[in-house]
Amino acid sequence: MTEMKSCKDFCDCLSDYLDGQMDEDCCRLIEEHLDRCSPCALMYESLKTTVLVCGKGLTAQIPDDVRESLRNFLRTHCRKENV
Amino acid sequence: MSDERAIIKRVLDGDYDAFEHLVEKYQARVFRHIIKMVQDRQQAQDLLQETFLNAYRGLSGFTGASSFSTWLFRIATNTCLMYLRKNRPESVEYDDQIENTRNSDFVPASPEFLSTPLDILLSSEGRRKIEEAIDGLPILYRSVIVLRDVEGFSIEEVSKIMDTSVAAVKSRLHRARNAVREALSSYYKDKNLSEHRRAL
Repeated sequence: MTEMKSCKDFCDCLSDYLDGQMDEDCCRLIEEHLDRCSPCALMYESLKTTVLVCGKGLTAQIPDDVRESLRNFLRTHCRKENV
Repeated sequence: MSDERAIIKRVLDGDYDAFEHLVEKYQARVFRHIIKMVQDRQQAQDLLQETFLNAYRGLSGFTGASSFSTWLFRIATNTCLMYLRKNRPESVEYDDQIENTRNSDFVPASPEFLSTPLDILLSSEGRRKIEEAIDGLPILYRSVIVLRDVEGFSIEEVSKIMDTSVAAVKSRLHRARNAVREALSSYYKDKNLSEHRRAL
């Protein structure tokens, strides 16, 4: 189990904690710390929001001309050869 | 997944139209990953074509040990890295660490960022700031954050796609997320301050 003593130690684990990569004992320690340390709790919430907005914010679609040129390119090249 | 295996079998049996189903399903996600890696639209278009052609040619070697999407994104990543090593080697060779001087892990969270409603964070301006924050990261960091937080691959899948250890993925993800958090926190703090000044 990772030894966590300072706020820095806890903050270093928050990304793994968000990803469910910490064991049960570490999760308990982190949760107890977040309950009593408001700067770390704020840090955790802002990291969680960052992950959320990255996931929802980058949804750009493929431009039509890129899609069209891909289709034409693959038809030209792939149909000439067997897999 | 079993549908996808059936489609792959049809492609291997010579049904090209079945391959177009796979292209249709994955092209937008793969393009998003490639354009974030190379940051050049024209080059991303060429590398997208090369990726799917490589996938078509290599499909008989797909064993199913990983998911098809993991296998395909690995091809896309390798195709981009080969291009970058040949044409922009400095972007890859000196790119394995966010500057220590940034020390972004310890920039305190900004209440202004957290109090901004989600619809503002995801407005066109908000999305542009997210794009800028990710684009400002070194390539290995922005690739990891895109694969994990945008495309939803697991840590283990990202390690396979990037051909690196799980520990390296976790470390890069931690730094990348904190750098983006810092950039967004700083932006919303300044924005809030300037709006407050205008109101006075």
